[in-house]
Amino acid sequence: MLKSIILITIFIILNAKEPISPIPLKIDYDKEKALLGKSLFFDPILSKDKSTSCLSCHNVFNGGADARDVSLGFAQRKGNIQSPTVLNARYNFVQFWNGRAENLKEQADGPLNNPAEHNMNKKSIEQRINNSLLYKKEFKKVFGVNYIKYDLILEAIVEFEKALTTPNSKFDRYLKGEDKLTKDEQKGYKIFKHYGCITCHNGINIGGNSFQKMGIFVEYSTDKKYPDRSDVTHDISDKNVFKVPSLRNIQQTAPYFHDASAKNLQSAIQAMTKHNLGIIISDDDINSLVKFLESLTGEQPKILDEI
Amino acid sequence: MKVSKLLFIFIIAGIVSSIAVVNFYFIQKEFTQKQREFLININNLENSFIDITNLILKNSIYVYINQDNIAIANKKLKQNYKKLQNSKVLLDSSYVDVKDNVNYLQKCMKENLQNIDIFLRINAGVKNSLLFLSRHIDNGKILEDYSQKELLKARIILKHFNDAKKLQDLVYLSKNDYLLKSDSKDKAVQQYISTFNLHTTFLMKNYPPFIEVTKKILENQATHQRIHIIKKRFSQISLHDVKALDEFATILFILFFLSFVTIIVLLLKYQRENKKLQDTYISLEHSHTYDQLTELYNRRKFELDIEDVTKFKNPSLMIMNINDFRYINDIYGNDIGNILLKEISKFIKDKIKVSYESSIYRIDGDEFGIVFDEISENRILKISNDLENSIVKHTFIINNIKIELRVNIAINNVKPLLENADLALKQIKKSNKSNICVFNESQHLKQNVEENMKTVQIIKEAILDDRIVPFFQPIVNLQTSKIEKYEALVRLKLDNGEILPPFRFLEIAQKSSQYHEITKIMIEKTILTAISHPQYRFSVNMSMQDILDKKITDMLFDLLEKYKNTNAKIDIELLESEHLDNMNVVKKFINKLHTYGSFILIDDFGTGYSNFSYFSELDIDIVKIDGSIVKEIVTSKRKFHMLKSIKEFANGMDMKTVSEFVESREIALKLKSIGSTYAQGYYFSEPLEQPLDDANITI
Repeated sequence: MLKSIILITIFIILNAKEPISPIPLKIDYDKEKALLGKSLFFDPILSKDKSTSCLSCHNVFNGGADARDVSLGFAQRKGNIQSPTVLNARYNFVQFWNGRAENLKEQADGPLNNPAEHNMNKKSIEQRINNSLLYKKEFKKVFGVNYIKYDLILEAIVEFEKALTTPNSKFDRYLKGEDKLTKDEQKGYKIFKHYGCITCHNGINIGGNSFQKMGIFVEYSTDKKYPDRSDVTHDISDKNVFKVPSLRNIQQTAPYFHDASAKNLQSAIQAMTKHNLGIIISDDDINSLVKFLESLTGEQPKILDEI
Repeated sequence: MKVSKLLFIFIIAGIVSSIAVVNFYFIQKEFTQKQREFLININNLENSFIDITNLILKNSIYVYINQDNIAIANKKLKQNYKKLQNSKVLLDSSYVDVKDNVNYLQKCMKENLQNIDIFLRINAGVKNSLLFLSRHIDNGKILEDYSQKELLKARIILKHFNDAKKLQDLVYLSKNDYLLKSDSKDKAVQQYISTFNLHTTFLMKNYPPFIEVTKKILENQATHQRIHIIKKRFSQISLHDVKALDEFATILFILFFLSFVTIIVLLLKYQRENKKLQDTYISLEHSHTYDQLTELYNRRKFELDIEDVTKFKNPSLMIMNINDFRYINDIYGNDIGNILLKEISKFIKDKIKVSYESSIYRIDGDEFGIVFDEISENRILKISNDLENSIVKHTFIINNIKIELRVNIAINNVKPLLENADLALKQIKKSNKSNICVFNESQHLKQNVEENMKTVQIIKEAILDDRIVPFFQPIVNLQTSKIEKYEALVRLKLDNGEILPPFRFLEIAQKSSQYHEITKIMIEKTILTAISHPQYRFSVNMSMQDILDKKITDMLFDLLEKYKNTNAKIDIELLESEHLDNMNVVKKFINKLHTYGSFILIDDFGTGYSNFSYFSELDIDIVKIDGSIVKEIVTSKRKFHMLKSIKEFANGMDMKTVSEFVESREIALKLKSIGSTYAQGYYFSEPLEQPLDDANITI
């Protein structure tokens, strides 16, 4: 009797609350600041040779990431890791692949100062922005300042990034009971749970809330050195450990993995099931999973339509 | 020290202690806030650890779980730690031990976060493997076909793994017994078994760290111990601080209370002293305004009021003087005199105040002033008459002594009020005509007053220095050419030796108490001279008034009694005046005088108030014929006839005559020729300091 009650309770808990939560439609951000941040995000003035903007590597109109294996920044220098998406970044528990930034502001500071990316610094950025009559006017309007400090520039960009969420994906609407999944999609979600993808890819961002090693069961080795978690912790056991990436809009963010080794979802699923689940997955299951993953593509952020 | 000064000091002390109390309140408030902040922060941190532990526990039980909560909890933990580290109380040096422990806690926290990372990583694989294995066994048709035994083993292996996880105990895992073995050539079987073994190998490898890290997180001993130490140390130190604060508060409260009480006490004292001062001031003010004895307004107040135009627009002053008040003091003593003054004051008040709007003052010892405003002369005269009448008719009874009074009243509305009224009063005394007098400008003899004042002073000094002396003018028997008598005349010797005749001082002396003294000196000195010159008779001058004055007559008879048995021959020259109301008194006086062998002479006969009627009543021995007649007997037949008639009359009455003012030999001879006995005058001698030893003269 007692056992059955416990079982029923567990059943209810498991079904009542899916481990994935939908992106809210209403999010808090300061629209004026965000629009000013949008201008900055789109503006190549923030790179030394005025060639690279944030948008160059984070195409917010399509997945928020870079379709290139590695991004090209200042003087066509190559980046050292695949560009992660900026969409829904506010829901990641830390930023960058190895989580070296605690928040968006720390993150934004990174590429601007990176010689291979924007190749700027605090002083040069302040100079650039303060020389612009347009920005002077805008900052005066939004922040009420005459001199624009670096901190405010970051704040504006972060505010824009906060607005970059993609709600109303089919799956979110399903979670909210507004839509129904197709058979394939449903099957894909079931596999996603049964095979254990969900143990890491859960939460609002379907990932982005824990670190995990690439290759738990079968070692994942590459000949190239990537900045992994051990760069932050200096712990050898953190080799090949990365932040679990979000699966939202995954359809749009190929190539996959930090090393861009998977060019499409099928090969990405294949690699993950082999290395991190220790299973060999059938093509049929892969197709179902792909269908499920495709249901995670949300609407474009509203801020992109705002002027 | 003065109360006000003390009060000031204590008020300052009170203010200071109040500020200290307020300050203390803020210190105490800040202290409490800091304490609260720290306690809240450490509790929040502890709760964060507990939250995480709960989430981890949940995560290890549930298969599917949203790990966002753990990420959020981790972030919160870090935030709470930062808050704790920034607690204001840790800036205080006495909390350095707590601060060290808090810093140490950071290590625990980092370790814990690291463990959570490790847990999450291993937990995902372990969960997935266990799920996979159970699914794998469920789909174990291939293995079952191949070997029932191996399938059973697979089930047992899975059971062991499940048990080990549930019970968190590695005992259930055998080092050698977690792999399936087969020599099957079937590829499907081989793959089945190798996949199975891949997961069991994974689990075998990861179970020990998984269980270890789970235990570490769930127990988290180091952290909880550290938090316990921090709390304990903190409460020890803060308890100490609280105690100190409590003691300080108590002291402060006592101080505050004491100074508060002291201020109140001092304030009360101050008030009382202030009141005393005020009372003194009021009584002083009263004594400035009121006469202490009679409770009438005093002289000072009178002087102020007279000048105060708002009080009196057109003032009229009535001053009343009690006649011979000084004798009342002399006779009955000052106490009775004072009571009498009070009674008189009351009497005046009753008489005047009831009927008339006025202010009453005691201006001098026995002088009262009553000021009326806007009053006609007739009216004030009537008031004065009424007052005078009622006082004269009234008998004051004090200690069974009946006292009757006479008063003089002067009325004046001419400035200066008091001086002029005084002049009018003097006029009354001088003239003896009426007891009420209205001042008029002709009485304005101010200069005289000043001179008189000077004279009074001179007389006073002369009495003290024994410079009141009798001068003696011989009275000659014309028939025998011998001096028989001397008239004693009063003289005042100034300290420079100058001799003042009586008209220079006697009148003034009569108005003062000195007159009595001068009379006494004259009588006594004359008696003494008479004793040393027994061959002559001596006469002393007295006025009718003197005779009516019982004091003077008593004094005279006392002296006569005293020198009764000497050979002094003393006569009295009586000066006529219109006031001879009481003939009986004079009669008695003359009779008594005669018992001492003294004669009575009538002075200045033939002029002034000379009245033959006296002679019918009084037993007079000698008549002195006035100089105004004597001087002219040579040139004026009338005067000569008058003189002869007086002589005839005297002879008829058995009286002798003395002719005064004999200034020439002719007069002397003429007097001798008609048979006059006695003559006196400058022709014979001026008044001398001492009577002449030789009685013989030549005419």
